[in-house]
Amino acid sequence: MVKVLVYADMVKDALEAIGAAQTLGGEIHLTLSGEAAEKYSEVAGGASSLALIKGETTDEIAGGLIKVYDTVSPDLVIAVSTKNVKDILSRLAAEKNLPLAIDSQEVSLENGKLQVKRNIMSGRATATLRYDLPAAITLPPRKFKPATPTGSAPAPTTVEAGPAKVKILGRKEKQRGAVDLESAEIIVSVGRGFKKKEDLKLAFELAEVLGAQIGCSRPIAADLQWLGEEHWVGLSGKKVAPQAYIAIGISGAPQHIAGILDAKIVVAINKDKSAPIFKAADYGVVADLYKFVPVLVQKLKEKKGA
Amino acid sequence: MSEIVVLLKPALNPDMLRADQQGNLMLDAIKLKLSDIDRNAVQLANELKQKIGATKIVGLAVLTWGPASKRQKDAESALREALAMGVDEVHLVADDLIVPGDPLTTAQALKALFDKLGLNPKIILAGEATVDSFSSQLPGRFAQLLGLPYISFAKKVEVQGDKVVVDRDLEDYIETVEAPLPAVISVTREINSPRLPTLIQIRRAFKKPLKTYKLADLGVSLQAAVELAEAKVLMVKRKQVIIEGDTLEEIAEKLIEALKAEGVLKI
Repeated sequence: MVKVLVYADMVKDALEAIGAAQTLGGEIHLTLSGEAAEKYSEVAGGASSLALIKGETTDEIAGGLIKVYDTVSPDLVIAVSTKNVKDILSRLAAEKNLPLAIDSQEVSLENGKLQVKRNIMSGRATATLRYDLPAAITLPPRKFKPATPTGSAPAPTTVEAGPAKVKILGRKEKQRGAVDLESAEIIVSVGRGFKKKEDLKLAFELAEVLGAQIGCSRPIAADLQWLGEEHWVGLSGKKVAPQAYIAIGISGAPQHIAGILDAKIVVAINKDKSAPIFKAADYGVVADLYKFVPVLVQKLKEKKGA
Repeated sequence: MSEIVVLLKPALNPDMLRADQQGNLMLDAIKLKLSDIDRNAVQLANELKQKIGATKIVGLAVLTWGPASKRQKDAESALREALAMGVDEVHLVADDLIVPGDPLTTAQALKALFDKLGLNPKIILAGEATVDSFSSQLPGRFAQLLGLPYISFAKKVEVQGDKVVVDRDLEDYIETVEAPLPAVISVTREINSPRLPTLIQIRRAFKKPLKTYKLADLGVSLQAAVELAEAKVLMVKRKQVIIEGDTLEEIAEKLIEALKAEGVLKI
């Protein structure tokens, strides 16, 4: 049986990593920090060992995790991807000479080798990769089924954090609207085709009549900052899976398309008929959004009223 | 005297994928380009160079897509982009022993190159991820191998004497951290807007040093850590129907009917 070291700092991530480890038939050794460490009883049932790392910076936690690794000497390390987790595991992997497969969509063990499938080329291709054990992987968030821990939790041991070279001076919460793109049924998404911020109201009106949430491409959130980052759809933004994704004035850069692969139906509205978004859409309308969107809103209102 | 080191990747260009009939990527036929976010790292290096009195900006790179013998020119032209943007010299490890590349061997080759050159940088910069692999692990590995502080996902970098203060762009919050220099920092796309090089800069780039090394030149032996079993174009079949009509009203009508027929619109 393979020994799996699971690391997490949040309960939901711990449960998903444990779920993945269980499907591999692994003996699970848990290492937790942060929120997951505080609530360890919610996740540690059935684990073979449990270590809690005290520490806040990624270098402290990486130092603690390296100590646990030496004690457990696992075949595989599994965690759910967050920016801090990628930071921490990259250090562990370098220290212990391990390959590290980030955002593994599929994971299996065959003949003592680890096989993973992950997206490459900015989400336009997939690679199937094989590594010798020991190895480390991260899983995309909300991709693997969370475990339901049963049985008693092992007694936790506390691990002293590694030395801190980096000091945290402060944290500022990001502004969050009431947006939840990941669970939206319909998303109306806006791009550079809109000439100014005020014009987005055309899209807001369409979203209102459809009961949709508002998404956007990278320039709108990152460069122009007309909308908050929570609206940003794409490789570096949110990956979404709505029933319908309506892209208005979005040209369709590969990094954007990578965020809408799981949409059931994609609609593109763009005046440039050679825009790449049309190749990634089920239904396309080649028209000036300033003229077409108001007509579409009017039609939908008529139908709703009828 | 100290330098600024920037880690650079000649990455496969995701906008120019080539595949066979079965959708298998023809990796050897895909051109390399300088990975996008590396430009942000170079831009930051330019901004910091004067401020911290660095002597030069040194670019370090490892070829991860082979075959090395055929890729030399391709990799060099990708790296010339960084030279045109302001990097003063580039050193490239190109060796078929570590192709296809993996961040495990790439970081080790970079460390060997770094030691060979006897560099003593004040700061080491890299992009948060690369456009072909997007795994965000190389800078952290490199920092660990050098035993230096590592700060990831920097949105703002401010050098204050012998320390650096950085805003890290995390999922739910911005975290401000401080570390002593030298340190390794990975930067996000949002940290700055890289300036396009001028024609004069592009021409001058051809005169700047770009040296290539084999692993044996660096006195290390490494072997590929990954087996690339398959690489396929991700096919998401979309219908690609363009809705046409004589008036916008007619088009809107047809679009609404199509969405209702798909069962994604209920009105």
